[in-house]
Amino acid sequence: MYGWIWRHLPGNAWVKALISLALVLLVVYVLFQYVFPWAEPLLPFNDVTVDNQ
Amino acid sequence: MRLVVRTVSELCITVGALICLFVVYVLFWTGVRADGAMSHQIDVLHDQWSKKTAQPRSTAGSAAGATGGTTAAPAEPAPYRAGKPFAIMYIPRLGFTWNKPVLENTAVNTLKKGLGHYANTAQLGQLGNFAVAGHRRTYGDPFVDFPKLRPGDAVVLTDGTTWFTYRIDKGPYKTVPTDIEVIDPVPRKSGYTRPGRYLTLTTCDPEWGHSHRLIVWGHLDSTQPVDEGKPAALRR
Repeated sequence: MYGWIWRHLPGNAWVKALISLALVLLVVYVLFQYVFPWAEPLLPFNDVTVDNQ
Repeated sequence: MRLVVRTVSELCITVGALICLFVVYVLFWTGVRADGAMSHQIDVLHDQWSKKTAQPRSTAGSAAGATGGTTAAPAEPAPYRAGKPFAIMYIPRLGFTWNKPVLENTAVNTLKKGLGHYANTAQLGQLGNFAVAGHRRTYGDPFVDFPKLRPGDAVVLTDGTTWFTYRIDKGPYKTVPTDIEVIDPVPRKSGYTRPGRYLTLTTCDPEWGHSHRLIVWGHLDSTQPVDEGKPAALRR
């Protein structure tokens, strides 16, 4: 999977490394901004009320 | 064969990294975001209040001035707007600098920005039960020290015109999430028998779980207009 991505990135090793880093940062951003906020309420930490709202 | 092994191990590493990132998000990032959101809500309130005091005093303010120092509360305030802050809560027991905005309703998104006032309960200082929920863990951990609350502790709130000092009478009391009578106007288990100006705080228990709730109850001890300075409970 990661090998496949690495082989398909353009440029030499340095360019590939830079693009990989950018990709990783993008993935982390999407996770923190969209995926985790969606997933977090499914866990129990949010239940602080007594009427199950 | 080698491809399969490699793909499976890559997947395992990916899932592991995801879980680590999620833990970082829950433990650390929600707190960073919530601290920012809470101080923003407090700024919004201070902005509103400074605008309000620039204009002629409202009737609510003068009513509070007339009856200041007694347990009589000011005239009924306007209905709170859903998801908007309307008060700041101070609990000296949770830390001298502990102060959190109180927002209307207890929706998931509201509780990310501060404490949530149960929408169907009494307004601040009014006859009935002013009930507030807050996170024990995550989102800034506002009620992390909830079990340290003891009878006699002060819970001070301000709506910009009046300081309301509540005193805790009972708690922390552990109950189940479906026990909605704890936020009744006269909560049965609190020991109160007559209608009054009560306060209920709720959070989750155990710390990271959701099987139970912790409750404290209090009554309105005194009110005073903000012009008279901070109430005694907040003076060092």
